[in-house]
Amino acid sequence: MTRKTINTSALILLGVVAFGIPLVLRSPTYLHIICLLFFYAYLTTSWNLVGGFAGVLPLGHSAFVGIGAYTSTVLSLQYGVSPWLGMIVGGFLAGIVGILIGLPTFKMRGAYFALATIAFGEGIRVMFENIETLGPLNIRGPRGLEIPPTHTGFVNFMFNTKEPYYYIILVMLIGVIAFTYFISRSKLGYFLNAGGEEPEAAMSLGVNVARAKLIAMAMSSFLTALAGTFYAQFTLYIYPKSVMSLDLSFEIAFIALIGGRGSIAGPILGALLLRPVSDFSRIYFGSSLPGLHLIIFGTVLILVMIFQPRGLQEPLLKVYNKLLDRILQQAPQGKAGHEYS
Amino acid sequence: MEFFLESILNGICMGSIYGLTALGLTVIFGVLKVINFAHGSLIMVSMYVAYWAIIYTGVHPYVALIIVVPVMYFFGYYLQDIVIKPIFKAEKDVREPITVIIVTTGVWYILDNLTLLIFGPQYRGIQNNPLRGKMLDIGNMLISVPKLWGFVTAVITAAAVYWFLQKTRTGRAIRATSLDREAASLMGINQFKIYNIAFGIGTAIVGISAVTLVPFYNIFPSVGVLFDIKGFIIVVLGGLGSIGGAIIGGIIIGLIESIAPMFMTATWAEAIVYGLFLVVLFVKPSGLFGVKYDW
Repeated sequence: MTRKTINTSALILLGVVAFGIPLVLRSPTYLHIICLLFFYAYLTTSWNLVGGFAGVLPLGHSAFVGIGAYTSTVLSLQYGVSPWLGMIVGGFLAGIVGILIGLPTFKMRGAYFALATIAFGEGIRVMFENIETLGPLNIRGPRGLEIPPTHTGFVNFMFNTKEPYYYIILVMLIGVIAFTYFISRSKLGYFLNAGGEEPEAAMSLGVNVARAKLIAMAMSSFLTALAGTFYAQFTLYIYPKSVMSLDLSFEIAFIALIGGRGSIAGPILGALLLRPVSDFSRIYFGSSLPGLHLIIFGTVLILVMIFQPRGLQEPLLKVYNKLLDRILQQAPQGKAGHEYS
Repeated sequence: MEFFLESILNGICMGSIYGLTALGLTVIFGVLKVINFAHGSLIMVSMYVAYWAIIYTGVHPYVALIIVVPVMYFFGYYLQDIVIKPIFKAEKDVREPITVIIVTTGVWYILDNLTLLIFGPQYRGIQNNPLRGKMLDIGNMLISVPKLWGFVTAVITAAAVYWFLQKTRTGRAIRATSLDREAASLMGINQFKIYNIAFGIGTAIVGISAVTLVPFYNIFPSVGVLFDIKGFIIVVLGGLGSIGGAIIGGIIIGLIESIAPMFMTATWAEAIVYGLFLVVLFVKPSGLFGVKYDW
């Protein structure tokens, strides 16, 4: 047994467990929570493409969730277009908006970039709240859009049970993880990394940092918008404050940061650790101790940033590797023995 | 015409209060080079301190300054000392540590929700105070008296802060640290002490602005959020680190908010504010009155 085989088999086991969960867990409430958990893990992983690899702090990503949600919903409500098609359209629309936002903002540094993305995100939300009809499109301002649950089925992206939603978001999550993995090993990934850490040095070596960041932004906003469509179909009701709020933007960024930006496991880990805490404290203490989950969230955020600025994935990975070492050493005729001799 | 002038005057008064809240933010930025995302929460905390001080003693709202200013000074001082300083120590070489944004957002979450937990979500207002609902009648124009008080307070505070930074020994040390951390340290200035003091002063100014708000504003746990983004916009508009710029930037926002509703739906005014903010960011990121930084 080598380290690699253990890692691969652990991943496969994780995948099998993930696909098997709905067979064991029949409660719709829990499935709903897990769906949202995956939804967040998907969002943080998409955010990580620009927030992690490109080394900037975008705080307006909920705008893309909103664009995705609204595009597919408006298209299906008014023109009967399948949300699956609307999902792709919304993705491209969000990608274009992402590039438009990125073009002027990537020149800025640090806090200025964060503030500009907040202003863009909030500006888009305010616009959606003030517009009743956008040309022929009816978006109904602050009241939002309701999707009548009449035509269920795969083409309509609408189901009576939670299981199909679960598998859709699971596949989306696996897809985005694979995509991130691919990007992190590609030339673009190295460019982004170099540009994020030492932009001047990278530029002097001929790396077009601005272009790499723009591509990352376009991909990130495209992927984020896809999740917006999922959310719209999952909850069947969207309004600007739900899909475009500043809170959502912050939550996406900070979950990823707590898990560990710039790594593949970090953002997912952040969602897996923090979402349940927030969900369960809301369920059990929501009425008696309102806001408890955000106090926990804030405390974790501060502690992680002070003691583990690279996120929780680092110490956990260390523990995992130590555990592997011990297992490999104990194995009598393992290859690891030779490595250590 | 009078109606128009009335809106302008009220806009200037409210805007100068916005400017006063942003003044605290800009003082902190000027020295620490970080944007304090817990800014709105500090306003909220100050408002609660002022509220309880006024309710328990029954004094005129502005007398509460005696309590609010020192309390908030030490609150800010120790917040920086305990929570933010470790980040600076860890990221010594970074000119503008982005991590501080994240940590102060954590502070925001904790303060807002702790307040919600302790005091509940209800709106509080000081109903029987001598300023509430008072209107000054000039010609046919009605000017809100508590906002006028706020305007006067904002101007006095800005002048006082300017004087303090220019003339006093501590003020000079603060400016030296703001210009060059390393050089200031070499001159025997304790960099982190200055950070604490600057954060304390910034928070104390926030406390003053809260006192001007309390007579006519409702107090609830998430009240700070209303001032949060607005504060960021004002300081960038006026130029991060500029004292006069903060007040002028605040007045610009106040004017947009009071005049725009005459021509369009009130909610669109918010979109105009964001638009103006982005234009300034792209065209002149150092702001209208800002010092040119090297980014």
